[in-house]
Amino acid sequence: MKRWRAASLAAAVALVLCGCGGTGGGAGGRSGDAKDELLVWVDNTRMPAAQQYEKTHPDLKMRIVTIPPDAGYVPTKVSLANRTKSGWPDVVFLANPAEAATLASEKFGYAAPLDDLVPKSVRDGFTPGSLDTCTFGGRTYCLRNDIAPTVLWYDATLMKRYGYRVPKTWDEYRQTGLEAAEEHPGTIVGAVNGKYGAGVYFGSSGCPTRDTLSLTEVRIDLGGPNCTRVADLLQPLARKKAVTTVVPIDPGFSKLGKGDKILMLPAPAWFGDFMFGPAFKVPEGRIAAAPMPTWPGENKPYAGQVGGGAFLVSSHAGGRTREAVDLVRWMTTDVALQAKQPTYPAFAAAAVKWGEAKSKDPYYASDPMPALTAAANALRPGFGAVRFEADWQSSFNDTFVKAVDSDGNLRDSLRSWQDKLKAAAGTSGYTAG
Amino acid sequence: MKTLTTPRPPTAASAPAVTQRHRRCPARTAAVWILVGPYTLFLVVFGLAPAGYALWTSFVEDGSFTGLRDWAAVLHDYRLGDAAAHVTTYLLLWLPILLLTVLSLAFTLHARPGRATSVLQLVYYLPGAVTGSAAALLWLFMVSPDSSPFSPLLDLMGIESATDALSGGSVIAVLTVMGVAVHAGGWIVVLHGALNALPKDVLEAAQVDGASAWRTMWHVKLPMVRTYVAFVLISSFASGSQVFVEPTVLSTGAPGQISPTWSVNQLAYVYATQDGDFGKAAALSLAMLAVGVLAAWIVITRTRMYATDSSDSR
Repeated sequence: MKRWRAASLAAAVALVLCGCGGTGGGAGGRSGDAKDELLVWVDNTRMPAAQQYEKTHPDLKMRIVTIPPDAGYVPTKVSLANRTKSGWPDVVFLANPAEAATLASEKFGYAAPLDDLVPKSVRDGFTPGSLDTCTFGGRTYCLRNDIAPTVLWYDATLMKRYGYRVPKTWDEYRQTGLEAAEEHPGTIVGAVNGKYGAGVYFGSSGCPTRDTLSLTEVRIDLGGPNCTRVADLLQPLARKKAVTTVVPIDPGFSKLGKGDKILMLPAPAWFGDFMFGPAFKVPEGRIAAAPMPTWPGENKPYAGQVGGGAFLVSSHAGGRTREAVDLVRWMTTDVALQAKQPTYPAFAAAAVKWGEAKSKDPYYASDPMPALTAAANALRPGFGAVRFEADWQSSFNDTFVKAVDSDGNLRDSLRSWQDKLKAAAGTSGYTAG
Repeated sequence: MKTLTTPRPPTAASAPAVTQRHRRCPARTAAVWILVGPYTLFLVVFGLAPAGYALWTSFVEDGSFTGLRDWAAVLHDYRLGDAAAHVTTYLLLWLPILLLTVLSLAFTLHARPGRATSVLQLVYYLPGAVTGSAAALLWLFMVSPDSSPFSPLLDLMGIESATDALSGGSVIAVLTVMGVAVHAGGWIVVLHGALNALPKDVLEAAQVDGASAWRTMWHVKLPMVRTYVAFVLISSFASGSQVFVEPTVLSTGAPGQISPTWSVNQLAYVYATQDGDFGKAAALSLAMLAVGVLAAWIVITRTRMYATDSSDSR
């Protein structure tokens, strides 16, 4: 009995000791940094630019911290800062812009609305539609650093060798894919996995898998023709194995590249520089870009999106808000700086300058810029930032990709994907319409 | 601590407990506190206190009582069923295989003592030297055909990429193989140590009575080391049901293939960090604690884990 009494006493003391620290929520609170320095979190790639800003602003006390680009890292750190009511960065770079939906939410209360802080004339300078992922309920919570519109990448050498024409419509794409699978077994014309499948095909088709209406409302409706046409397009291609379910960032994908098996790959703009050569080992002078094929009944080749980054300003920045906004504005809109960055700039004027070097890049079989620029200006509206991004990807794999793998009915799998998406949206605090 | 002591001979406990209490000297009491004190302190600071704080957090938010709201939300979460099913399947696969591997190898080592035994102990132990995230990273390479030394074997199994190896249900198989490799070695050493400490006269008596090696193992050795087996079960159940690091690290190999809420612990982590909901995270963590305590209680009562010690003190 004595032992139990001692244990109960210890537990009670522990409860009393710990209970007094209970706090919740992230909204409100003062600036998290007592040292009165501008705390900036950027990934490795953005670090030299942040350091350049620091050098040109000697009067500004700045602390730049490198953060990993891993999904979930920033929300994790911010939720801990919310818990301790200190330590928030004044400026943060998001390698995954969907996290803006989390950080702007009432629960986190981290992202500051920028409408009154960044003039409309500056925001209008961004590629049309590129700030949609930063906008919730009419308020803009971030500025995009770069965007990742999808284009139809293709191997010009293989196309010529096989005697195929670059498809302009998705019907032609399917036809070419089926012929290639028949005549050249093992050849693929696309990849369907996670965000690389959902963002490319469903994103460009305008299928409402995650249309954000506000921070608390999202439209999910996979029964419409914009969704079923994707299933109908991919069903025969899946049966003939003309599309692969191996995720393109898997090192195993290089087997396809080295073996001359990638005929076409609708994929984001950054695949040109970062995947075909370094990862897939496709030699120089073969890869070219074309606009995405057009969907039936439309005459504009809409692009999907997979990737891109964004900058956020903290609502806890207090007296440093002006400096924080100035830094973000410079990082995203400075033409000279953005022209040197690795991926497609979101700021339109910078994208033009950035494209000059890209046009002359000997890696490409032909100038990819016309297709990339067209894609950047044809982002399919509606594809928004949501708090259930991870579930959006994994539920797609659990339903649609599983059906592709098992030769199941892709139209039917849309129903189960919709159920999972609605459940995910509900759990994340959305009203799903 | 009692669980790791070898059974004492029955003669050691002939005096009544009351008489013993009177005979305790202050030096002995002090020694007991010195030995138990640090453990008690750690238990309170890192065990009871966080659990108490979690209990508080699961019922109180911003100073106001929220009742069972967080508990209900957790139990109704559509991801909980999948996560629980994953962990249960993993435990059903991993625990029996682990226990069978540990028992068979430890008993084999004990039955054939010699120079090779210590070498083999080291060989069995080595895979377990790499644990946690490092082990997960190592196994990520093992199951990626491009970097794996076992790529011909993976080819035979139809695994052509890390996506194949880590998508769908395959991840449970990978985790099972990994879990056995990582944990078996350490437990073999513990169990072999326990077998070595068994009273020689009992084993010799069995031999004289003509018991075969199998019967000796089954009817003599196993009952005498059952507390150790129970300990292996309880510890392994606790670590297996809280599987977190392995699926988290493996998911970096083929992003998007393993759901970030694959296991129950991962779901609790997502609540706390990405959803910013500490109340739900606390509720789910406590539910996991309850499951672990219940499982431990079942194992303890079923294997009469403390029976030897309590009967000694009578």
